[in-house]
Amino acid sequence: MAATGSLTASAPVRGRPNRVTLLRIGIIVAVLAGWELLSRSGWLYRDVVPSLFAIGKAIVALLSSGEYYFHLGVTAGEILAALAIGGVLGLIVGLLLGGNRFLAAAFESYLYYLGPTPKIIFFPILIMWFGVGPGSKIAMGVLSAFFPIALSVAAGMREIDRVLIRVGKSFRATTWQMATKIYVPAMRHPIINGVRLGLGVGLIGTLLAETKLSNKGIGYLIIQAYTLFDMPRMYAMLIVLFVLAIGANALVGRLGGLSNIKRR
Amino acid sequence: MSASSATAPRSASPPQPGEAILDVDHLHVAFQTPDGPVIAVEDVSLTVRKGEFLSIIGPSGCGKSTVFNVVGGLLTEHEGRVSVAGETIVGPHPSIGMVFQEESTFPWRTVIDNVAFPLELTGMPKAQRLERARHFIEMVGLQGFERRYPGELSGGMRQRVSLARTLASEPKILLMDEPFAALDEQTRLLLGDKVLQIQQELQQTTLLITHNITEAVQMSDRILVMTYRPGKAKRIVEIDLPRPRTSEIVGSEAFGRYVAQIWADLREEASRGLTDDETSRNRGSAS
Ligand SMILES: Nc1ncnc2c1ncn2[C@@H]1O[C@H](COP(=O)(O)OP(=O)(O)OP(=O)(O)O)[C@@H](O)[C@H]1O
Ligand SMILES: [Mg+2]
Repeated sequence: MAATGSLTASAPVRGRPNRVTLLRIGIIVAVLAGWELLSRSGWLYRDVVPSLFAIGKAIVALLSSGEYYFHLGVTAGEILAALAIGGVLGLIVGLLLGGNRFLAAAFESYLYYLGPTPKIIFFPILIMWFGVGPGSKIAMGVLSAFFPIALSVAAGMREIDRVLIRVGKSFRATTWQMATKIYVPAMRHPIINGVRLGLGVGLIGTLLAETKLSNKGIGYLIIQAYTLFDMPRMYAMLIVLFVLAIGANALVGRLGGLSNIKRR
Repeated sequence: MSASSATAPRSASPPQPGEAILDVDHLHVAFQTPDGPVIAVEDVSLTVRKGEFLSIIGPSGCGKSTVFNVVGGLLTEHEGRVSVAGETIVGPHPSIGMVFQEESTFPWRTVIDNVAFPLELTGMPKAQRLERARHFIEMVGLQGFERRYPGELSGGMRQRVSLARTLASEPKILLMDEPFAALDEQTRLLLGDKVLQIQQELQQTTLLITHNITEAVQMSDRILVMTYRPGKAKRIVEIDLPRPRTSEIVGSEAFGRYVAQIWADLREEASRGLTDDETSRNRGSAS
């Protein structure tokens, strides 16, 4: 009760450490202390809950090894490629569905059914088609990112102010000009939203695929550490990955924030 | 054969100089609705001459916007022929620029980028089109607001941006559908002055659609009065007032006579519209 009160009361204060920040730091410290206690207590195998020191050492080792950055680059490349391909495909399909009632009636319900289906069930097929390497991971990412982007573009397109389209037509814009200068900017909010959702599920899809069957990438390293029972290294990788994912999300969030400034 | 349907009496004053540039010939438009076809425009013919300011006035729902869309080439399913300098309109025509009834600026573009939009479509180099755009922004009196977004402007200013954008495409014929309908009376008068001034400066052929009598008389060389549903041409009134005009003309006696004459025509139509609504309401409640 008291915590909630302080949360709302101190929310507007920015810049200096306030009670919210203190509370957050406190929680992190408590979790770390609990972890260390658990590690030293001997209730669980020492290797399953390594000490903070061991994890810290593993993080340093990780961040100073060139090998890690190679795998990080592979994963980041896969996710970016997946987002680019899935984004373009999603945009095209979304534009088609949003702009054509007949196509929407025929196909959109498939997207709604397939959208929430866990894409990992297609992974065996993707391996057969694209191999064990990055190809099948990118395909997983594409498959994951495509649906939220296509659906949010299709919905966004139906909400465009019709008069803006008539303006474009009255100035005799070509189909390409209509798409790039009117439809896409008019739908910037749903598109950015779709990309944010797409990035989230694309990241999950790609990493999940890497942990299943692969020879490169962060997911592969994590599973390798797990099979070698190198727990400090595994935790180190999870923590670094967690921080990176937060960073990526914040970046896309900034993108969405920027677009809001120009909103009417 | 210029202007008006058979029911409209010929005006006595001689026709304006200037050749016909826009010709609407026996236009019929019907919309298919679930309750059967609705006739929106029935047998409207009119001719706009080069440099002329012609207004179409009529009660709400009489088919003014429909005529606007047909002339602008956005509505192609109709009977009759619409032509620009002899060329039949089958889609948006390069000689025609449209200003819409609704709010139509692009909220993601600054004022100057909004105005430069039609020039951008033609592939004009950036420096050149921004310079052109600046010229038209000045013309509508928005200098200093080039870098603002429409969301930061008032409704009247946004409507001026739309007007500047259409002017920037330098259309031979300017087509406007109640561009000031959503504005308050003062802004409307001031913007009306602006439009008059621009029209006189550019010798711009203009077809204005409005339901405001004062606005129509103040600006027009001729006014086409339309009937309530189905929209037909009721009468063409020549406005023989001296130019250049400003909003001051509104106080003159001759102006009052024109307003009274058109008001009499419109009142007839408006009351027909009202009784129409009432009978259909009564029919609706009886069944
Ligand atoms: N797309 C459409 N489908 C069916 N009926 C339509 C359509 N567009 C217009 N109408 C009908 O055609 C008639 C004329 O409409 P229009 O918009 O041209 O009127 P208007 O004179 O511009 O009215 P206002 O002054 O209110 O703008 C109206 O009765 C309207 O209900
Ligand atoms: Mg209208």
